Amino acid sequence: MNIDESAVTPAKATKRRPIAIAAVVVVVGVFGWLLYGGLDKNVVFFLTPQELLAKGTSGYDVPVRLGGQVKPGTVKWDDKTLRLTFDVTDGQSDIAVQSSGAPPQMFRDGQGVVVEGRFGRDHVFNSTGLMIKHSNEYRPPKAGEKPQEMYKTLIKGSGA
Amino acid sequence: MTGLLAHDSILVSMAVVLFGMIAVPVAVRRGRRDLIPYAFAAVYTNFLLITVAALSMVYALVTHDFSVSYVAQVGSRETPLFYTVISLWGALEGSILFWAWVLSMYAAVVVWVNSRRPGNLVPYAAATLLFVSFFFAILLIGPADPFGVVKNVQPDGPGPNPLLQNHILMAIHPPLLYLGYVGMSVPFSFAVGAMLSGEVENDDWMRITRRWTLSAWALLSAAIIAGMWWSYEVLGWGGYWAWDPVENASFIPWLTATAFLHSAMVQERRGMLRLWNLNLVVGTFLLTILGTFLTRSGIVSSVHAFTTGTIGYYFLAFIAVVMLASLALVAGNSERLRSVGRFDSPMSRETVFLLNNLFLTAFMFTVLTGTLFPLAAEAIKGVKVSVGEPFFNRMSLPIIVTLLFLMGVGPALPWKAASKEEVKAKLLPPGIGASLFLVGGLLAGARNVYALLAFTFAGYAAFANLREYWIGMRARHTAHGEGWGTALFRLIGGNRHRYGGYTAHLGIILVALGIAASSTFRTEHEATIKPGETISLAGHTLRLKSMWGREEPQRSVVGATLEVMNGAAVNGTMEPRMNFYPMSQSPVPTPAVRSGFLGDLYVNLQAFRPDGSNATIRIIYEPLVPWIWFGGGVVVFGALIAIFPAGVLTGRRSEA
Amino acid sequence: MNWKRAGIAALCVVPLIILFGYGLTRDPKEIPSPLPGHDASPFALTVFAPGQAPLARAPGDTVKLADLKGQVVVLNFWASWCLSCRDEHQILSQTALDYVGKPVHFVGVLYNDEPANGTKWIEQMGGQSYPSVTDPGARTAIDYGLYGVPETYFLDANGRIAYKATGPVNERIIRYLVDSLMAVAAK
Repeated sequence: MNIDESAVTPAKATKRRPIAIAAVVVVVGVFGWLLYGGLDKNVVFFLTPQELLAKGTSGYDVPVRLGGQVKPGTVKWDDKTLRLTFDVTDGQSDIAVQSSGAPPQMFRDGQGVVVEGRFGRDHVFNSTGLMIKHSNEYRPPKAGEKPQEMYKTLIKGSGA
Repeated sequence: MTGLLAHDSILVSMAVVLFGMIAVPVAVRRGRRDLIPYAFAAVYTNFLLITVAALSMVYALVTHDFSVSYVAQVGSRETPLFYTVISLWGALEGSILFWAWVLSMYAAVVVWVNSRRPGNLVPYAAATLLFVSFFFAILLIGPADPFGVVKNVQPDGPGPNPLLQNHILMAIHPPLLYLGYVGMSVPFSFAVGAMLSGEVENDDWMRITRRWTLSAWALLSAAIIAGMWWSYEVLGWGGYWAWDPVENASFIPWLTATAFLHSAMVQERRGMLRLWNLNLVVGTFLLTILGTFLTRSGIVSSVHAFTTGTIGYYFLAFIAVVMLASLALVAGNSERLRSVGRFDSPMSRETVFLLNNLFLTAFMFTVLTGTLFPLAAEAIKGVKVSVGEPFFNRMSLPIIVTLLFLMGVGPALPWKAASKEEVKAKLLPPGIGASLFLVGGLLAGARNVYALLAFTFAGYAAFANLREYWIGMRARHTAHGEGWGTALFRLIGGNRHRYGGYTAHLGIILVALGIAASSTFRTEHEATIKPGETISLAGHTLRLKSMWGREEPQRSVVGATLEVMNGAAVNGTMEPRMNFYPMSQSPVPTPAVRSGFLGDLYVNLQAFRPDGSNATIRIIYEPLVPWIWFGGGVVVFGALIAIFPAGVLTGRRSEA
Repeated sequence: MNWKRAGIAALCVVPLIILFGYGLTRDPKEIPSPLPGHDASPFALTVFAPGQAPLARAPGDTVKLADLKGQVVVLNFWASWCLSCRDEHQILSQTALDYVGKPVHFVGVLYNDEPANGTKWIEQMGGQSYPSVTDPGARTAIDYGLYGVPETYFLDANGRIAYKATGPVNERIIRYLVDSLMAVAAK
């Protein structure tokens, strides 16, 4: 998909060819440089807690996607201040995560998560986005966790 | 039983297709033109056979025949009939079948319409289409076989992906996308046909496929807008575009197709950019296949990705063959594709079209690079990265505002060369529109440079395009004494291609305004409230009336009823919901949207106590979002104006 | 037709094709796991589904990792509510039978599910050749950094995690990994 320079300059003017080639090279070069610069600054690394901690000081305050599991027993959600905190673990290391906004409805212990945000110098990961890792193909686990039973009170309350 | 019939008809179709593919070169090389009708017959037969297969699948879905593997995968007795039928394209295998079906249909129609044309262009184009068909048939008997026989037949199935049965738009978006994607194979096949038959020196291949390209482009545009709308209405995050690889996959070929629509005019009018156009057509087709490959092979991570299998390898082989062959063909033919005309002046419409092409291509490369970069980073450096929205936004905003500006300049300038006076007379007045929109943006509180530029250039382009209508109408009004309505009607009728294009421009401007406003002025608020309490944002107050739940056949629904307050009076209700599907671990939100002329009030139920004692509600004010959907409609309408046959004989050659 | 130009143009896309080919061998959803190469954490889990002769273990027996030293272990996490698990079930069950008498041990671990559901599922699927164990509280799953089901861990004869497969496995992967791990163990 290269622009053939003969298409943009008259066929006869072969003398102009080198100039046209140079122009194309310059345009493509500048564009490539811009692309590279843009990528360099906006790439988000995907790390596990252990990898993030291993980065030391260079791991602070850069955008990161942290992947792991919600450590059982660490989830705290305050529905007044809308502050959600929990630990993400990869089985080796844990990182405390702080997030604002309601946890996804099915958020629970042992759940695989990917958290987007930045790791602060206070060793708290400030999340700007929370993605629950799940496949839509999964059925809800455990009899007690069927939504119908979980929200029984609401469903009964409507008289349906 | 149905599975077997369908399976056999696909196998037979492969034999037929293979025959057709071989018959064409034999007919041409050996001078056996009597074989060509048989090759065409192969195209029609293929259509019939794939239709049998597709209808068998619909039948199996509707009758809940769980011995067919695809039905066992996506069917469920509780799913409403409508969603059962549309699950034909809800998962991988079915979507490939649907694709093959559409392709065979397009091939049949395009061959039928052009079968009497002398020369070898149409036979070679037919052979190319058959080649693509053959690939999809291989998929259908191999890695994406929807008619597999299930050994342990279950009494019921899991049902379609909840995200896909949650909204009516899901019935519209995928078929539009496939129709658009597959439509691009028609111009591609004619381009290849032109190169193979040596008829590339006349531009017939382009004239024949112009309407196809336009329709495919319109369908693709509609599909992208419908996809945005679906994402907005179903995913509950309040946005419509996230630069997700799957979204990008639909957008990338749209960019090259848009470039082609413009540069094709330069070729028709001025005989220039001929090699470039071939590249665009071939590139667009490759990008549609690449998009399918990206989304079907699971090669890049995406929220929309299908479950993967070995199908990626088949796609890779196909892409490799098509890329190598078509690029070699284009490069090998390049010497025959010299420009006839030349650029006379930088102040001409063709120059603007050239710039438009440069920027659209740059845009395409930007999105493509961002999409593929994680893959390259992992291959070269071994690191797992993702390219976030900041990259795409930072890179694309300058391109978008430039394109908006060009959209105002292009229609105003004449072909060949404009005199200084013409330039002044045409390019200065739209400045009024630009200033109005700039002031409007400033008054509304926009301070971001790109947002202001977007408003300014949108105003410029809107003024310039509307002015073209006005100039034409006024000319008719004074010359023929026509009423304004008649003048407009006849103006468009006399040059559908041109005014269809301007209409599409206006649609794009509306979309751009919607995007610029909603991303600049969007406000949101989230709070946990008890029944009776209120939540407010930007002058809108909602009161939580009650939390409720209900059982539906295929899902259970939990919802919140919110009253829209107007002072003390209640001014309607909104009901954001959460749908729990038995086969899905997480609920699918259904936000409530209240649309007005100036924007949407978007309310999502984020969380709730199971006893209904409180609910966390997120409320977003989204300015001008409805304009995006409406603008999408205008774009399609513009394309329709250009597609519809113009009085058959009149004005076909004279459009801009 | 200018063949030289054609060739040069064609060459330009070769790197792209190679990149895609490489991409197909990767799983973008795979979370970089620190585990491969590390010692597998020990477990002692109770059998709930006995499997079939000759691989059968009595229900209530305890499967300990420590007892499996010197053998290649294939640890497959599954659940009755997981649809992809159906895809791999037949393959795993059949392949396990093919390795009878070799130093390879297949274990199914039920994840976030009731043993009763698991037993019913195995019945529906036409039986499972090797035994499955329960994992109360998903302890083992967490130790292994399980991300979702199905997920399969291949442990070498020294009790180290050699490979982790996310999503359904196919026969080729199982055979390749098991055969190569056995070959290493034999040396």
